[in-house]
Amino acid sequence: MLHTATTFDPIALSILWSRLISIVDEAGTTLQRTSFSTVTRESNDFAVVLMDRKGRSIAQSSVSVPSFLGVLPILTKALLKDYFPEDTWKEGDVVMTNDPWLCAGHKPDIGIVSPIFYKESLIGFIGTIAHSPDMGGQLWGAGTRDLYEEGLMVPPTKLIAEGKPNETLFNILEHNVRAADQTIGDIRAQVAANDQGIKSLMKLMEENDLIDLQDLADAVINASEKAMREALSAAPDGSYNYAYDTDGDGLGEGCHFEITITIKGDEIVADYTGTSGAHYMSINAVLNYAFAYTAYPIKCAFSPDVPNNDGSFYPITVTAPEGCLVNAQKPSPLGARNVTGNMLHSVVFGALAKAVPNQVQSDCGSACWCIVLNGEHKGKEFVEYFFLNGGYGARPNMDGEHVLSFPTNVANVPIEVLETDVAVLVTEKSLVPNSAGDGEYRGGLGQRFSFKNIGDKPINVSMVAEKTVTSAKGILEGKDGQMGSVKIIPEREFPSKGLGKLHPGEELILTLPGGAGYGNPSNRDQGAIEQDKILGYIS
Amino acid sequence: MKLGIDIGGTFTDFVLFDDNSNKLYFAKTLTTYPDPTVGIFNGVKELEDKFGFPVKNIDGIVHGTTLVTNAVIERKGAKTAFITTKGFEDVLEIGREMRYDIYDIFLTMPKPLVPRNLRMGISERVDIQGNIVTPMDEGALKDLAETLKQNGIEAVGVCLLNSFANTGHEQAIGKYLAKHVPNMYYSLSSEIMPEIREYERSSATAMNAYVQPITDKYLKDFETQLMASGFEGNINIMISSGRLTTIDGARKSPIHLLESGPAGGAMAGVFFGKHLEEDNLLCFDMGGTTAKACVIYEGQPEITNHFEAGRVKRFKKGSGLPVRIPVIDLIEIGAGGGSIARVNNIGLLTVGPDSASSDPGPACYNLGGENPTVTDADLVLGYLNADYFLGGEMNLSIEAARQAIETKLAKPLGISIEEAALGVHKIVNENMANAARVHVLEKGMDPRHFNMIGFGGAGPVHSFGVAKLLNVNKLIIPVGAGVTSALGFLVSPVASEKIHSHISELNSLDWNEVNTFLADMETDGYGFLANSGIDEKDATVKRVVEMRYYGQGHEITIELPEGLLSENDLEEIKRRFIKEYEFRYNRSIEGMHMEMVTWRVVVQGPIPEMKVEQFSTSKGNEEGYKGTRKVFFEETGYLDCPVYDRYALQPNEKFDGPAIIEETESTTVVGINSAVQVDADKNILIDLHH
Repeated sequence: MLHTATTFDPIALSILWSRLISIVDEAGTTLQRTSFSTVTRESNDFAVVLMDRKGRSIAQSSVSVPSFLGVLPILTKALLKDYFPEDTWKEGDVVMTNDPWLCAGHKPDIGIVSPIFYKESLIGFIGTIAHSPDMGGQLWGAGTRDLYEEGLMVPPTKLIAEGKPNETLFNILEHNVRAADQTIGDIRAQVAANDQGIKSLMKLMEENDLIDLQDLADAVINASEKAMREALSAAPDGSYNYAYDTDGDGLGEGCHFEITITIKGDEIVADYTGTSGAHYMSINAVLNYAFAYTAYPIKCAFSPDVPNNDGSFYPITVTAPEGCLVNAQKPSPLGARNVTGNMLHSVVFGALAKAVPNQVQSDCGSACWCIVLNGEHKGKEFVEYFFLNGGYGARPNMDGEHVLSFPTNVANVPIEVLETDVAVLVTEKSLVPNSAGDGEYRGGLGQRFSFKNIGDKPINVSMVAEKTVTSAKGILEGKDGQMGSVKIIPEREFPSKGLGKLHPGEELILTLPGGAGYGNPSNRDQGAIEQDKILGYIS
Repeated sequence: MKLGIDIGGTFTDFVLFDDNSNKLYFAKTLTTYPDPTVGIFNGVKELEDKFGFPVKNIDGIVHGTTLVTNAVIERKGAKTAFITTKGFEDVLEIGREMRYDIYDIFLTMPKPLVPRNLRMGISERVDIQGNIVTPMDEGALKDLAETLKQNGIEAVGVCLLNSFANTGHEQAIGKYLAKHVPNMYYSLSSEIMPEIREYERSSATAMNAYVQPITDKYLKDFETQLMASGFEGNINIMISSGRLTTIDGARKSPIHLLESGPAGGAMAGVFFGKHLEEDNLLCFDMGGTTAKACVIYEGQPEITNHFEAGRVKRFKKGSGLPVRIPVIDLIEIGAGGGSIARVNNIGLLTVGPDSASSDPGPACYNLGGENPTVTDADLVLGYLNADYFLGGEMNLSIEAARQAIETKLAKPLGISIEEAALGVHKIVNENMANAARVHVLEKGMDPRHFNMIGFGGAGPVHSFGVAKLLNVNKLIIPVGAGVTSALGFLVSPVASEKIHSHISELNSLDWNEVNTFLADMETDGYGFLANSGIDEKDATVKRVVEMRYYGQGHEITIELPEGLLSENDLEEIKRRFIKEYEFRYNRSIEGMHMEMVTWRVVVQGPIPEMKVEQFSTSKGNEEGYKGTRKVFFEETGYLDCPVYDRYALQPNEKFDGPAIIEETESTTVVGINSAVQVDADKNILIDLHH
């Protein structure tokens, strides 16, 4: 079974493996430095994955969004199977798509895949996904009623064929999106990142006298698969259930998740039977995306140290009834599907706590809140995305961190950058004392972020907030975190999900939920409690 | 006569340049704790005893130290408070909200240098254009000052929102504190780092305040004791940008000392590059715990403003505290000789990132370390001499090294001890070459167009392997390879760098305003140089702007045209931006507006001249060749390898690799298929494509 031993010795493999990772990291840096979208450049909402010629991932960028990393190989395999079979690719081709079912679950995420040729043979693919500044349609958010309101959909299409740009496609894009030069600029940045990765891979091939990538791919994939299987084997066999509720629209139409995780030998199956049906708001997730966000916490729990690639996923199966919240079908709206994806770690860790309690964390004050502001500033239209994170869940041996992104990994937009781009004045950014769930280890605190419209025109606000009527759930007798809230001054109704308007002079006050606790609070160390009081984390 | 003194974690290095004889003298003493000045005076005394140079004959001293870095890593700074705009006290703790490792749910983020109970808000607000939205509550200042006194605060950092656009409120706080809490140190963000992005600016300001009292005390002691010992010359301090500041400058902005030692190494690289007519050099500096690389392009080191101090996880970007100060772009490319090797859970050999440091140290130190390290592998392979480590001051146990490698690596992998040792040596070289390659590529350059210079305690042992992996043609092991940073101090210029944040689209810039602030910054710079006795006519001025395409978040640095700027310079500025952008990213974007963000003016004194000839105690008739010993190379296995004494090598001496060249502070390993030439100044030049 150890293909590794027959092809690459442990020293050579160790060397080549780290080289592959540095190739994708380098491409990721190029993408980040040259992109316009704040989502990509300030918040790292992108990923680069190197794949073999079967579309299996071999290496991925280190600081990236987990969902994208999981999705790229699925996309590439689908391209090979249903759109562009292996023998039809030509050197210099670049394929683009934002089809949510093939790609990352909603239209703003654009997948760009380039084939890699070495000595005239196809040896693999490199792909990037990045959140584009705009894809047309309604302002991005949870408020769209169907897929068609969410803008342009580009099925898998050659953006560049044998080095020749597809002018028709560029033209269509240009006429369908806001801030077209930035959106197209970012697509070009993705192509450039792919090219950079290809260039570096060529050097690796030459310097190591490799003919193709297959043996190396097999070796790294087998190693990652083996590590995952060994870790799963060490966990007790059995079926573990967990049920979990989230806000939904925050007005009474919530979402219900049910999961049954079955560990048998060295395999794990997660089944979402019992989960509620598709929601009327655009928070539905396609199965690819649900798979990525289910496999991710499993990887964290069982094999965090081994570099990720296709092999880590082989022992994992995810199933969900067709048409449910996590296996949405056309034309369910998907825009803010991240709210749902971001919840799956809660469900997975909740179930796994019954099997491997020392390998999981308590629920985080997620999903990450996404806010989009659209209006006019200094005579220019702006579309500004920014993100806010809640408290991190407690761990079996330590408290949760305050205000930290999980399971996604997006940075905030600096206040001073936000104020440069948009006519707002931020009035508060602070930790919220007492917002964390208590426990032997407590959760991390949530945050408050408030801002005022100081311009003379209303600002359209697309809100995607979560845990305003539900809370982060504690594990093993740990307490729940505090709920968040969305308030406006002067006081009136303001949606926690969907579109609202912030009129001149109005102030929006966003309070993000705290993380949940782990273990019984009566076991908490007295010194830790005192320290929390001194620092004002609790009163 | 000039003296460079570099305090490192383990050793304090001394390089003395005698401009009468044009010769260099070296000394090395153990760094002393808790008072490093003891070690300094031990070294100064050694120089006097050994070579007969009393301290009063020294005209100038240039000093660098790890004091600031260590204070941040070990959290041994002052009791510090932090003042912010009310409502934003937690910005320093919240940071950017992003994890540095996506799969590690057990990660911890770096704790802020100022705890929550010592962060205080004051009612005031300035908008992004610098307009006052809420006037400062002057009455609250009194209460604030009282709280600081009651809490026994030694230093305070002040960072208000948008203070880079209007410094008024911060200045007012500074004035008030200076008057009413006179013994407390304070740092204003508008002086420390006047740039957009509140978290990064807060982080730098808090850190400056945190290290200011200890740095101030240390520098005062240093200066006083030097004066007391008879020193009458000028003192300069090495800073992270590879330039020198005054004692006063260092006391005011101690965070600039964070990378003083490594910056010294890079400046030595610049010096040797110029001397040897090598414009493009890759500096490779490997010590006991860290290896660093830096690019010198067209004779200049690259300067970056992205830096992190006190990482909680080694080599993990984002796990430290950001400090946006000008730093020579040195990247940590790997661990040093103390890095531990192991077989991981999937049966692969890996090295680092954790280090056995000096206690217990590598297995071969025989101080209780059981884990095999890079140094152990180097010893087993014969690269190091067990009896001549640090010139024989320390004996290494080859048996202990072999046993650690056998138990922990060779047996589990089912390979021989030598294969395992070679594996460790190769992996560490490969990882370093990898990181260095990425670093060079990120700048849009090709590593094959560079020659390499290697130094540091472990640098010459690994330079050949790394150079080969990078396809470098020529490797230089300079004179004083074990004390290079201190040598670099002596060839660095005194300079001041002024920063001004002024965000505007290129097409709508008010050129009068630009010319005015640039001129002010230049005048400030001349004033600073005058304090070090440097005349305006000997100074050079470099004016740069960080710019980007409108809508991007990362800037690139462009040198501005000379003289008064006007609309006539627009095309030239655009051209320079596009050229640099294309150089870095292989493309440019047509028709996109450009935006200027941060303006910098560097006013720099002349770069000191120096010869590189080392004073030697050898009589000149000794043989460099000392015989052979068994050394293991990948291509050949064990062979009888010639060993040379570096001090006895003669100018223009030539021999072929393989070879081992020993000196007190380091050992140069020369692999097979290469040629060695000793130049007139006794630098070792190795041709790798012989």
